Parts: sequence; C-alpha cells; structure tokens
Amino acid sequence: MAATATGVHHRTYRAELALRHTKAEYARLLMVAALLVAAPYVLDNYWLGIANAILIAVIGAVGLNILVGFTGQISLGQGGFLAVGAYGSAILSGRAGLPMPVSVLLAVLLTAAVGAFFGLPALRLKGLYLAIATLASQEIIMFVVRRWQWLTDGQGFLEVARLSLFGWRIERETFEVQWYWILVVVAGLSVVAARNLFRTALGRSFMAVRDQDIAAQAMGVDLTRTKVTAFAVSSGFVGLAGALSAHYTETVTWERFTLDVSVLYLAMIIVGGLGSIAGSIYGAIFMMLLPALLTELNDAVKDSLPFLNDQLPAIENAVFGLAIVVFLIVEPRGLDRIWTRMKDYVRFWPFRY
Amino acid sequence: MRHISRSMIVAGLVAVLAGATACGGGSGSGSGGGDSAPIKVGIIADLTGATGDVGKPYNEGMLGYIDWLNAKGGISGRKIEPMSNDYAYKVPAAEELYKKYVADGAVVIQGWGTGDSEALRSKVASDKLPFMSASYAEVLTDPAKSPYNFVVAPTYSDQMRVALNWIAEDAKGKAEVAVFHNDSPFGTAPVADGQKWIAEKGLALGYKAYPMPKTPNFVGLLSQAKSQGAKYIVIQNVSSPAAQVAKDIKAQGLDMRIVCLNWCSDELFIKTAGADNAEGHIMIQPFAPASANKPGHAAIKTYLDSKGIKLEDKGLHYVQGWYTMDVMAKGLEKALAGGGTLTGESIRTALETMAATDTGGVVGTGQVKFSATSHRGSTGSGIYKVTGGTMVELAANRVP
Amino acid sequence: MSTFISLTVYGLADGAILALAALGFVLVYKATRVINFAQGEFLLVGAYTFYTAFVLLQLPLILASLVGVVVAILLGVLVERFVLRPLIGENAISVIMVTIGLSAVLKAVVQMLFGTAVREQPRILPTGTVGILGATVPVDRFVVIAVAGLVLLAFTRFFRRSRHGIAMRAVADDQQAALTMGISVRRVFALAWVLAGVSALVAGVLLADLSAVEQNIASFGLIVFPVVILGGLDAVPGTIVGGLTIGLLKQYVSGYADPGLAEVVPYLVLIAILMVRPYGIFGETRIERV
Repeated sequence: MAATATGVHHRTYRAELALRHTKAEYARLLMVAALLVAAPYVLDNYWLGIANAILIAVIGAVGLNILVGFTGQISLGQGGFLAVGAYGSAILSGRAGLPMPVSVLLAVLLTAAVGAFFGLPALRLKGLYLAIATLASQEIIMFVVRRWQWLTDGQGFLEVARLSLFGWRIERETFEVQWYWILVVVAGLSVVAARNLFRTALGRSFMAVRDQDIAAQAMGVDLTRTKVTAFAVSSGFVGLAGALSAHYTETVTWERFTLDVSVLYLAMIIVGGLGSIAGSIYGAIFMMLLPALLTELNDAVKDSLPFLNDQLPAIENAVFGLAIVVFLIVEPRGLDRIWTRMKDYVRFWPFRY
Repeated sequence: MRHISRSMIVAGLVAVLAGATACGGGSGSGSGGGDSAPIKVGIIADLTGATGDVGKPYNEGMLGYIDWLNAKGGISGRKIEPMSNDYAYKVPAAEELYKKYVADGAVVIQGWGTGDSEALRSKVASDKLPFMSASYAEVLTDPAKSPYNFVVAPTYSDQMRVALNWIAEDAKGKAEVAVFHNDSPFGTAPVADGQKWIAEKGLALGYKAYPMPKTPNFVGLLSQAKSQGAKYIVIQNVSSPAAQVAKDIKAQGLDMRIVCLNWCSDELFIKTAGADNAEGHIMIQPFAPASANKPGHAAIKTYLDSKGIKLEDKGLHYVQGWYTMDVMAKGLEKALAGGGTLTGESIRTALETMAATDTGGVVGTGQVKFSATSHRGSTGSGIYKVTGGTMVELAANRVP
Repeated sequence: MSTFISLTVYGLADGAILALAALGFVLVYKATRVINFAQGEFLLVGAYTFYTAFVLLQLPLILASLVGVVVAILLGVLVERFVLRPLIGENAISVIMVTIGLSAVLKAVVQMLFGTAVREQPRILPTGTVGILGATVPVDRFVVIAVAGLVLLAFTRFFRRSRHGIAMRAVADDQQAALTMGISVRRVFALAWVLAGVSALVAGVLLADLSAVEQNIASFGLIVFPVVILGGLDAVPGTIVGGLTIGLLKQYVSGYADPGLAEVVPYLVLIAILMVRPYGIFGETRIERV
C-alpha cells in the first residue's frame, strides 16, 4: 500500500526538519483540516460554543505542556496566569481603549513576564517543592485578583465589550461562527508555533533540562535562562488563552481561574500525553467534551434515571476524577500514546512490532 | 479477524469520524412558536453548590408553581415547559446552561445568584431575553443598566436600609454595626449603600464591613467586631455560615444581636443554629414565612397538601420561588393576551406595563409592580424576631 | 488580653487538627515519596463515616469510632493497592495527578451519598465554657488539643519503639537497604496509607464536631502543604510545630488584621520558607537544588 511507508528516508536536512514526512501523515492532516472547515456548517450554536471553548483550552494546554511535559517543571499555577491574561486584556481594551489584537498581545507579554517571575523559584526547587510553590502562587494570585478593587472598579467582575475591530463587529446571530474562525486560526498558529519551537535549539534545550539537567548544563545549556524562558513562553501561551476567553465570554470573574481550573489543565495534558503537542490537543478535547457529553447523556436518560439528574455535578466530578485515575493506571502516557499504538498496529500488521 | 486489510481499517476510521461529525448537529429546536406549543422557561438553579441549601427549596417552589399552573390549564391554554438544571453556583456552568437554553428555544430565563445574573446581564440584554433572578442586587433593577433583568423583591440595599433603620430605633441613639458579608459580589452588594444611607439619614451608627472566610471559623471576625464595640451584626450571607456565627456568639457569651438579611432569614438558620442559639436574633425577610399565615400562602398550602407535604417543611424559600414564577407567568399571560406573540421585547413590555400582581401579602408590600423606569418589584420587607424557635413578625412591609 | 487568650486557644485547637492531618501526609510522603493531594478528602471520608455510624446507624460512640477506623484502614489499603501501586516508578507529575483524581472521586462519592447540605451531629466533645483571664473560651477546644496531642504522642512512640514503626523509618530512609534487610516494602507502603487514613479520621471527626459535618472539611487538605513545608517533610515533631504555628498565625491575622488575608497568609509563609530554609524547621537538608 502506498499510504504506509516501509521506512522514512531523508535526502536533505530540510526534508528531515519538515513537520510531516509521509503522504499518509499529510492525508490525515488534510482530513483534520477538512473537519475543521466543515464544523461551523454542521454543528449548531451550542456545540459550536463548546468547540470554541475547546479551541481556547487547546492553546492553554499546549502552553502548559511546554512547561510541564517538555521542560519537566511541575506547575499548579495556570489558573493564576489565565487570570493575568484575562484581566490584562480586558483592562487594556476596556479602560485604555486599545484595539483587541493589541490588548491581547500586551496581555500575552504581561503574562509571560509574570510567569517568568513566578518561575524564579523553579531555579532552586524541584518536584514536590516546586509543585507546592506554584500552588502557593496560584492562591496568592487568586487572593490579589479578588481583593484588588482597582481591577474591577469595585464591581467584583469585569465586562468586556463585544469584539469590534475597525468598524467590523461580531454580530449576535453569527457570534459563535465568527468566533470559531478567529479561534481556529489563532489556535492553529499557536499549535504550529509550539511544534516549531521544538525543532529549534531553544526547544531542545527545554527537553534537555527535563531529561538530565546536570548533563545539559555540562553541554552548555544555561539552566537559569532556559527555565525562566520556559516559564515565560508557557505563560505567554496560557495568557493568550486567558485573554481570548475574556473577549469570548465577555465577562471576567475570578471564578474562572481557581485551583480547579489549574487542575483541569493539568488533567488535560496528563490524559492527552505529556511532552506531546498533539497530546495536548487530544487531552483538551477529551476533558472539555466530557461534561458536555455527560449533560447530553443526562438529558437523554433524565426520566428513567432521576438519580443521575439530581447528582449531575457530583457525577461530573466523579467521572473527571475517574478519567484521570483510569488513564494514569492503564496508559500513563495518555491519548497520544494510544493513538500512536493504534497507528503502529496498522503499520506493522501482521507483525507485532 | 486477522485478515482485515489495512484499507478496511483506514476506511473504517474515516467512517467513524464522519459519523461523529454528523452527530454534532443534534439538539437545536425551534423557539416557542405555534398556538399550543409549550412555553419554554429556562431555569438555572443552585441545588448542590455553595447556596444549595436555599437554592433547592426555591427551585422546588418554582417547579411546584409550574406544575400547579399547568394542571389548571397553563397560560392561555399553553403549558409551561420548565428546563431546569443545577449549576452548583459556578458562573461558567451558568453561562453554558444559558447558551443551551437559548439554543433550545427558551423565551424567558429564571436565574439565581448575583455572580451569574451580573455576568449574564449584557448577554441577556443583547439576546433580548427577560431574566428574573433571585439575586436582589440593586444594579439589576435599573433598566438603564440592565434592560432585561427583573427582580421581584426589595434589593439587598433596600433590606440593608430597613435593617439600619430598625437598628437605629432599637438602639435609641448610637450603636456600632458590624456587617459580615459573603466574600463575593452577592455579599458586597449592599455594603456601600448601607454606608451611604447612614450618611444620608444622619444615623448615629458606626459601620464596618468584614468579608466572611469560606471555612466556618468566625472567631477572628467576632473578636474584631468585639473590639469595634459592635452590638449589632448585619449578616449578608446564606443560613449555614450565619448559623455558625450565632453558635459562636453564644459559645463566647458575646452581647451581640444578629440582623439577617433575606438569605439567612429563614427556618434553616433556626434549625442549623439550634433554637436556643438562634433566640432573639432579628430577620429582615421580604417573603413571608408560613408562620406569618398570609392570605397568599393558602394556594401553596392547598397544592402541597394534595402532595402530602407540609409548607412548614419546605420553608419560605419555596414560597419565594413560587411567587417569583407567578409574577413571570402573569407577564407571559399579558404578552399573549390579545393574540400577541412571545418575543423577548413583548414579554419585557408586558412585565413593565402590567398591573400590580397581588401576592396576598407574601412578597414585600404585597403588590409586585414593575415599570419602564424600575425593574424592582417591591420595596418593603417584613421584620421578624426568632422567638421560641419560630419567626415571629415584629413589623410588616417596612420600606426604607 | 482576653481577645489574645481567646484567639490563642482557638488557634491552637485548629493547629492541633492541622497537625493531625499533616501527619498523615508526611507519613505517606516519607514512606512512599507520594504527594497525597487527597488528604483533605480523607478527612472528609473519615468525618462522614463516623457520622453514618454514630448518627444514621445510632451506634454507641466506641463502636462508631471502631467502624470509622475499620473504614479508614480499608480505604488506605484499597488506595495503596489499586491506585498507587500501578504507578510505582512513574514520574512525579503522574503520581500527583492520580491523587488529585482520587480526591475528586472521593469528594464526588461523598456528595452523591450525603448531598451538600450541612448535617447535624450531636456533640461528642463537652460543651460549656470556661473563663480564663477575662476571656470566655469553650471547653471543647481544650479537649481537641488534648486528643490531638495524645494521638500524636502515640504515633511518636509507635515510630520509636515498635517494629513496624522502625520498619517504616527504614523504608523512608533507604528503600533498597530496607529491602535487603527483609522488610516488606509493600506492607510498609500499605501501613503508611492506613495510618494516613486513621489520622485523617481522627482529625476529620474532631473538625466535624467543632464546626459541622459538611463538604468544607475537605478544604483543610490544601492548608496541609504550608504546615508540612514549615515543619519540614522529614520529621514528625515538625508537623506538630508547623501545624500549631500555622493555626495560631491564621487566627491572629484573622483577629487582628483582615480575616480574608488569614486564608492566604499560610501560602505567603510557605513562599518565604521556601526561599529561606526550604527543608523546614526540622527537616534534613535533603532537597535537590539546581
């Protein structure tokens, strides 16, 4: 079969660096692209809304994976960084009157700076201690966000005006569809950027720090700079996700950035697969789809199983926890590994490996 | 199974993917058109979240009213179809539910908490969907800021003013007031207005606000209130934390009187704190409890009796939910009268222009009326004192 | 002065419970190197189990406590066997996430069985107040301090004197060496989780008696981290000192400054300790640095 190559041979460096190597991979990519383009015409508003939420989550998950999966630094503080991005963009576009792309860009830079600052403990701590330090940073950012009245003008939450750019507005009727196109483009660019990062020396130095930091240092990787950069880059992505969510949901409340959200993002990359960009995407889709599917299931069986309806939030939590535990016990390397195994099965059949 | 060729596997995967995409187009359905089509009401309720202990009876009251009304034939022959879901007091979940209800064709929304009502305020305005909530924050009653929000009861600020008036009377002069409030927009809603009221009316009251921590450890708060010299504690929170404060006051033998605003002024507070801990505390409650025996309770009692449930067991939040839905139903009725259609604007106009709804003395001053300049249904609250384990009415329909 | 006395007593009582909860966490970490994010939920399960036995099943106090201990032991064994054992050798993040997942499941199960409403439980600890230097302090706080102190003392003796305790310390020190000495490391792991469950049971029941049987009990789980960092991850006396310090600090800040600030002060302390003396007051200099 022409679709499956029996060996991948590169004749130039350029070919080796390419993002896709075989025709089969290009074909799959094309299918995914076709699905993405078809989605707004097939899905109704509700599911399109969920798709938009997933796209924002993809950006955040990719950012987190850069830090946790590729650089090996445990971080529980994503909720705080999402908050920085969201509040930053909302305030810059609302009060300073900057157009949305500019405010989002500035928010990303701001979050990167804050992330670099909170990444300083990573220079001296590892493992449990780093996890606890980032947990503390999450709680402290949460406290500041809730109490700093200037942020919300004393109102308790921020409202963001509906997105309008140089006279072009997002309309109510096509709200979800227009946002979908914006988010697909931004998410696509982020994913490609992240993938690209790991073809560069900087990206490889991240992975070196994860695998063997002392050996990396011996090879000339500046540990301090690398770790701080990793935190900055990762927080930048997360800040982008936060800023987009502020403009998309048109309100900024601290409830969207609690520790539960940090845990949710960690769950996404764990379930999806650490150290894999594609894994972040799978994980984001899985974890965001789970509550939606549960709600649908609940609607379907509401009358025959009233217990499910009464306890839906508890059941959502239970399923969330179970998904994490089961994935970690059965396949610790996540959805990405499962997909790779499926591909390998097809590719190597009838051989086992 | 060994001879499945590779092409079959790939083809199978494509089929599955295509099927999954097609499956997505499911749930949207048309809006409430047609002559006898049910009227869809979206209900966002807190059944298991932070305010679930009061949210559950409220939701039950609402659903009870709908059931009762449907049994009587509904509105102009059309039944009400409630779509009620639990959002556990999490604003993002409320937004999801709102989007779902809009997609499913709801014509009005019954919301719940301050956080979600304020967060959905602008969406509701641009989607033109009338939204009634159990949040009585003042900003929701101003049509200029929240054109599609309606609130049946006196706002938290109104209740605070009534509370401060009562305290000034009871203290006969100077007194220190400590305000314990929930650490959220719901909690802070009446705080600033209380301060302004004292200045406006020239009351000789000291006033200090303290946000309550989530964990029920209020010892620090009480000692701060004590060093302030506070004799009255106004609590803007739900029953359980307020009951804990009552228990702590008794345990430490402090000479302080609690004045609860509506969300802790209920039978649940008395039950959780225990009758002797709750003794003597004051409640500001715009919705009359069953013990006050108002004419408006009769219909509810009959309905519940037919189900074998006593109103006293459900509590006054059941009554609250019942009458909130009642006012909305009257608005829907007016919108449909004379062959009208149910659009957001027509319902809003109906609510603003309809005659006062008589709630039989249960809600506020008894009459609930909106207007084009005020979406606040009523301004009066009843003042009750906890005596011997029940709420005894001290004054009815106090307006600020 | 009376404010100070009152705050001190309340703070010590809270701190004693915190120390108990933190003890379970430290035990698990020392023996298995697992960071147990589900400690708060262990307290929750313990409190609700006791509630079921004592209130719903109307068992006498001793019997209800026994039921609670049995369930705690079961919980520890099951968690170790089915959730943690498959993850031996995986990286730290996976282990943290599995305990987080476990905590979500436990919390959800409790919510499904008991709902979120506050449950009433008759007081076990003596009610009534006592006057000290002008302050009126409830007696139950003193009893809590005493009970927690007794349990902690029992644990200390266990580690110093009993064979199993010494085996645990050996495993905590060097797993390989302990294995070569014939110590069943698997049994020690299970024992660590069981003891974590039991100490969480005691802490949970005390907490539930002081406040109420409700979901908030689980939030104690997060404050365990500042306690453990302050006291040092490697020492039992450290958790006692750490717990009491954090408990007192929270109460003083709540009483003299801003009550909301009291929630975040433990984390500020944690960051400060991590910068200055990361191994805590009592811990050994063992953490890796770059």
